[in-house]
Amino acid sequence: MAFQILLNIVIAIFWMALQGEYTSVNFVIGYVIGLGVVYFLRGSLNETFYMRRVWAIIKLIVIFIKELVVANLDMIRIVLSPKLNVTPGIIALRTDLKTDWEITILSMCITLTPGTMTMDYSQDGRTLYIHSIHMNSTQEVIDDVRNNFERAIQEVTK
Amino acid sequence: MLSLIEILISIFVLLGSFLSLIGSLGIMRLPDIYSRMHAATKSATLGVVLLILGTFTYFLGEGIFSLQLLLTIAFVFLTAPVAAMIISRSAHRNGVELWGRTKHDELQESYPEHLEPERENEKVERP
Amino acid sequence: MFEAIMQVGLIIFSISLALCVWRALKGPTLWDRVVALDSFGLNLIGFIGIIMILQSTNAFAEVVLVLGILAFVSSVALAKFLERGVVIDRDSH
Repeated sequence: MAFQILLNIVIAIFWMALQGEYTSVNFVIGYVIGLGVVYFLRGSLNETFYMRRVWAIIKLIVIFIKELVVANLDMIRIVLSPKLNVTPGIIALRTDLKTDWEITILSMCITLTPGTMTMDYSQDGRTLYIHSIHMNSTQEVIDDVRNNFERAIQEVTK
Repeated sequence: MLSLIEILISIFVLLGSFLSLIGSLGIMRLPDIYSRMHAATKSATLGVVLLILGTFTYFLGEGIFSLQLLLTIAFVFLTAPVAAMIISRSAHRNGVELWGRTKHDELQESYPEHLEPERENEKVERP
Repeated sequence: MFEAIMQVGLIIFSISLALCVWRALKGPTLWDRVVALDSFGLNLIGFIGIIMILQSTNAFAEVVLVLGILAFVSSVALAKFLERGVVIDRDSH
């Protein structure tokens, strides 16, 4: 991945040199051309095209922002309703994610999304303990996290 | 009359302050510390981030690109979940009472014998 | 008009700061006070942001950044201190 980005920047600088003008507009044009070149070279580089990973990161950020807005609407509804209808509970969630930083991202996403908050992790770091404010069924909360975030994060690191 | 950029800033500021107020109301109203933490992290974080975005837009209109404000946004997003996790973990390990209507507590079962916190049966007095 | 809207924002922030102080004074446990102070710090950032717009000065940008860092560090340090009586523990995670 790092090699592909480096190659792309070198192509962009080469484009600027060919144009004879070292401006940021030329750099951007060169970078876009470099993207096309790297895309066609991806077979001989033996790696997946790195823009796919960038696209996955953008998708993760979009999901995150959407969930953050939903979480706030949810919070407004809870706080402003005259009667408190919350049923809190703490559940354990076993993740399939492997590395430390994936689990860190997952727990951050859990904290800032509707009704859930990371409280603790086990010794090996693979089990997260989640405090949830809408506990209708345990399975529902777990499925929610699995379908939304775990898949998006796996998409990034694949 | 308001110009377009002023309307944008006003929307940011009003939404941000409203969400912060919701966060503080949640801290005041919700029954136990773990639920209060929900309000404190979600609403207060988005409220402050929106407001700083409004300030950033204002200075962008004045022709100043303020990197410190962008850094503040990134920093608040990164640190709010960490602070929430550490505070609630420390409260749970020291046996702060859960609300009476809490359904189940799988974290309590995971503690080893010698570390298990004592939870009093009588409720902590509430306002 | 624009200034009036900013004043409304300031008033709303003052109310929410007052609510945080109320919880910090009242809170049944020490952890409630920590949460209230953490949220107080966040709200203070917003308050200063509005003042920056009203006075049209860029001078408080560093203040905002440092306040954000201080609110985080102080609440984490307080929570760790309340947990075991030490702030920095070296042999456990």
